[in-house]
Amino acid sequence: MLSVDAQLIEHMMSPKNYGSLAGSDAQGIGKNPENGEKVVIYLKVGKDEEMPYIEDIRFQAIGCTTTVVAGSMLTEEAKGLNFNGAKNLVEATMKLLDKLPAEDAACSEMVALAIKAAVDTYEKRREDPDYPVITYVVSNSCVPKEENETKETN
Amino acid sequence: MKTLMIKTHEVWLEMLMAGFMSHTAKKQVLFDFSDILFRHFTWLENELIELGESYSYDRDMIPVKVERLDDILKDIVKRLDDIDLQLLGSPDKALSSRISSDIAYMRDVLKNMDDEVVTAFNMARTYPGVELTQEATDALTLFLFEESYKEYELIMIYNYLKAHSNDAYMNRIFQILIDESFFHLKSFGDMMAKMGLLAVPRVVMKELYQVEDVVQFLKDGINEELAAKEECKRLAEAVSKDSEEMAKFFDFINHQENYHIALMEDALAHYTKGRDV
Repeated sequence: MLSVDAQLIEHMMSPKNYGSLAGSDAQGIGKNPENGEKVVIYLKVGKDEEMPYIEDIRFQAIGCTTTVVAGSMLTEEAKGLNFNGAKNLVEATMKLLDKLPAEDAACSEMVALAIKAAVDTYEKRREDPDYPVITYVVSNSCVPKEENETKETN
Repeated sequence: MKTLMIKTHEVWLEMLMAGFMSHTAKKQVLFDFSDILFRHFTWLENELIELGESYSYDRDMIPVKVERLDDILKDIVKRLDDIDLQLLGSPDKALSSRISSDIAYMRDVLKNMDDEVVTAFNMARTYPGVELTQEATDALTLFLFEESYKEYELIMIYNYLKAHSNDAYMNRIFQILIDESFFHLKSFGDMMAKMGLLAVPRVVMKELYQVEDVVQFLKDGINEELAAKEECKRLAEAVSKDSEEMAKFFDFINHQENYHIALMEDALAHYTKGRDV
């Protein structure tokens, strides 16, 4: 079960950056095919610096409270980062997943992959404006490992 | 008209939240007003459908964290004023007149309500008259966040399905499920406010209520109800050592899910009858 502390409750009561973003420059989707849960990330990309950066970010989720908390925390961290920073954030999050309980790992992974998908979609669209929104699928399972031997892959 | 529906959606929820915040007899008045606003919302939705306009249940986040009830009541009055102004441009004069007349009365009552200190956001996580262990408190906290959103989501889904169906049999079932979810939402919201954890449910994503496959939706819904029953059972067990009364309440909610499942099975049988599914 999620460890409940004041910071977590704050995110549950008022999730940061929840909702869609009118006029977003790119979207990305993280999906868990096991249970149909998904996260959509909307990015407003700043272009006035050397490298594109996340000027604004929103997320929406079909998922549990853990997903919403992970979305709230990770989008807060992602806001203001340039694309290299955002990719590092995704990578760092993915490295932490093994330390989390199965259900929490799948939720955090879904958010991280949605951020990666949005960044990748933006980059692809610079070459091809009609490039479709990228969806990445989680490799962690919501079901604890001992109950679920097979794993989904990207 | 679309903006009017969105604004009515927002003030309906804000009024409901104000009801949770009150500790006095005003609570019921605020709940009744929120029910009226929900009906306004459904009537405006029906207008949009009749006019053939596309719409969604998107809305802004609603800031409700206040220390005094007066603060939220003033904000509600302001929102009602805005809606009243927008009604002037609405094509259905009978509907506008009805909504406007309700608003005038509600505004008058709200302006004369006594102030109260609001404790619904203090994060105390204690329940009046019950001493829960840390584990039971955590389990209850997570359950309330998860399920209060779920009940709001169900209200929106069944409401959308009902608005787009002319099948009286299905609509009777949808209405029962809407009413049941309202009862659950009010029960859980009240508990959240007592524990200092009140929160407005997040916006529901379009693809959840703009159901493309009703059969699959009903099948998934039955499985979700079964999962909700298990959650209630687990929670009843978690709190049973500390509070027999609370355990009984969650058993009661658990047993209510049986009827929801039966209704959804009924809806599934009715919907698939004569269809090639």
